[in-house]
Amino acid sequence: MALCCCQVGLQYLSGDICGSNARCIAMLEAFKEAIKDYSTPPEKTLCRDLTAKISSYVSFLNECRPISISMGNAIRFLKSRISKLPITLSESEAKATLKSDIDRFINEKIIVADKVIVRHAVIKIRDGDVLLTYGSSSAVEMILLHAHELGKQFRVVIVDSRPKLEGKLLLRRLVEKGLSCTYTHINALSYIMQEATRVFLGASSVLSNGTVLSRVGTASVAMVAHAFRVPVLVCCEAYKFHERVQLDSICSNELGDPDAISKVPAREDIAYLDGWANKENLQLLNLTYDATPSDYVSMIITDYGMVPPTSVPVIVREYGREHLLT
Amino acid sequence: MPDTQALVNDFLNKLKKRKIEGSQATARQTAELLRSVISQQRVSYTNQAGALIDAVKAVGEQLIAANPVELAVGNIVRRVLHIIREEDLSLTTAAIGGLNLSAVSDDETDDNRDDHPVLSAAAVAAAARSTLRPPSLQTLLEDSPASAAIPHTSSSGGDSEGKSKSADKNSKTRKLKHDVIEAVNELIQDIATCHEQIAEQAVEHIHQNEVILTLGSSRTVLEFLCAAKEKKRSFRVFVAEGAPRYQGHLLAKDLVSRGLQTTLITDSAVFAMISRVNMVIVGAHAVMANGGVIAPVGLNMVALAAQKHAVPFVVLAGSHKLCPLYPHNPEVLLNELRSPSELLDFGEFSDCLDFGSGTGSPLLHVVNPTFDYVPPKLVSLFITDTGGHNPSYMYRLIADYYSADDLVVQRRPTAGN
Repeated sequence: MALCCCQVGLQYLSGDICGSNARCIAMLEAFKEAIKDYSTPPEKTLCRDLTAKISSYVSFLNECRPISISMGNAIRFLKSRISKLPITLSESEAKATLKSDIDRFINEKIIVADKVIVRHAVIKIRDGDVLLTYGSSSAVEMILLHAHELGKQFRVVIVDSRPKLEGKLLLRRLVEKGLSCTYTHINALSYIMQEATRVFLGASSVLSNGTVLSRVGTASVAMVAHAFRVPVLVCCEAYKFHERVQLDSICSNELGDPDAISKVPAREDIAYLDGWANKENLQLLNLTYDATPSDYVSMIITDYGMVPPTSVPVIVREYGREHLLT
Repeated sequence: MPDTQALVNDFLNKLKKRKIEGSQATARQTAELLRSVISQQRVSYTNQAGALIDAVKAVGEQLIAANPVELAVGNIVRRVLHIIREEDLSLTTAAIGGLNLSAVSDDETDDNRDDHPVLSAAAVAAAARSTLRPPSLQTLLEDSPASAAIPHTSSSGGDSEGKSKSADKNSKTRKLKHDVIEAVNELIQDIATCHEQIAEQAVEHIHQNEVILTLGSSRTVLEFLCAAKEKKRSFRVFVAEGAPRYQGHLLAKDLVSRGLQTTLITDSAVFAMISRVNMVIVGAHAVMANGGVIAPVGLNMVALAAQKHAVPFVVLAGSHKLCPLYPHNPEVLLNELRSPSELLDFGEFSDCLDFGSGTGSPLLHVVNPTFDYVPPKLVSLFITDTGGHNPSYMYRLIADYYSADDLVVQRRPTAGN
């Protein structure tokens, strides 16, 4: 097992790396490192053996924390690159090709894609807007900061929820940059939604029926925004699109640590469930994602432009093949 | 009556400082306070109902002003006023029946003049008509002091027999106060037992193997679920924890200790889980006359999710939570913002806030509302101690408990008291 993969896996486990872009980049960097250290054992071909190696790393990472759809796409990309390596290439040449392929993927599909998304999204922000966001999304954060740099006058509402309270971290970063912020919890959505003029949400993945998989609670935010007639803009890089379909959040989800539910940090007064966690009748359910139905999404902002959720399967079909082939 | 004043002030302080938790406790304490106000109140021989009403109104006005968001206070004040009017009316009609007057009402005189029971029944009907009559523009504009406070007592009896009635009033004097206090005691009893009466209906609504979702903690919901459990129904309960107070943890603990299959989820997972839920059962803070609910924060989100998945949204409410007012902008006007410290620790962000910029307005706001407004179209059913009702029927149910004259609890400044 490559050391770098172990490190990344442990960082996933401890939660130091979270957010699908960060996880994906960390994984690809680790693979790059592993490929650099790789040498084909005798009597084996690089193409077969490296694919098997990568698969074993992936299953290790999957043990640490289930692989997200975006990471799955990246892994698919890497494997297809490996399998398409010309047999005539020497080992060092092959490794160099793969390294540059990975770099190109990170740059094109994630870093440049985010810049394009920011450029698209910023035109949707007008002076006097109240932008609501949920949790902490790297794309949304970049959009807000860029709009602030452009001198747009707007206010940000950050809605947060237990157990991760990621919004607090985003709040800190935004306040440090001088953005005017309002912070609240997810139950106060109906109260705060009356002020909002736009809702910006990040996504872990967008499925081809337009369903947005994202941090648990996103669906509630989109639903309340829909009820209050506030446009919902989902910011998602196109490499996170997937041809799978899903109708609800239960069938395929990731379970978090149940103890994170029973314990409320920084609130000593809430300790009702101390010592109750192992009662037979009591279950603590900590979902990580939920599925937002496409009817709540007004627009998806991707690197291919701003599209309605119904266009996701088209993008998956037209561009998905291309990014696997090239 | 210094004792009462001290009690009133004490209660006012508690209300202002939001020391009383929950509308049931508030309702009970309000009723008990008003009972002592009534028992301490000295009444003259004439117009004693008016004196009681004025006394209750005077205290009630202060109580409502002390915590306008706690609608249970106003509800109980209006209930007590209604009780006084009802008791006075029943005594008056009894007196009319006993006196056997020939000229009780003008339109009833041609027929059944000598038929005693029918005559009194007609008088009751006439008097009842005048009480149920909504406050017309005429009565609102007229400022006749006595009849404004209690329009029916003098008008239904007629002025002609005023003297003959005064002899009878001696016995009536103590009886009215006694009856009113009896009725208020009944009211207090009702408030105390409303859980049980609501819980009795649990079996009709919860079926075997169902999945129930609730948010936060409500004693009514706890009793309701446990009553169904005691009737040998086995079902599963999802409890959303209910940020920022996390009372759901408490409810989950209570449910588990009573042997119910309980799953605790975060509030954010409500939308994800509701597709597997058969029914949402929640408590309320107050039910407005249009069928809208002032509920613990977060329930509007739950109600919307339930509507999306066609899951029945059932609200349990004791009769002391039924409010005769119609809401206007309730999200703001009937709401209360709690301390930000429930969300962020004090000083947690002081290091990154730039106080030197001097724009005057802070960069960081924290919003922590207490209540949500759930519009009537999102509510499938109300279960009160009198049974299950549609949201569209609530206005009529509420009309049974209150007099139309008391909707505005305010002493008339010109009435001269």
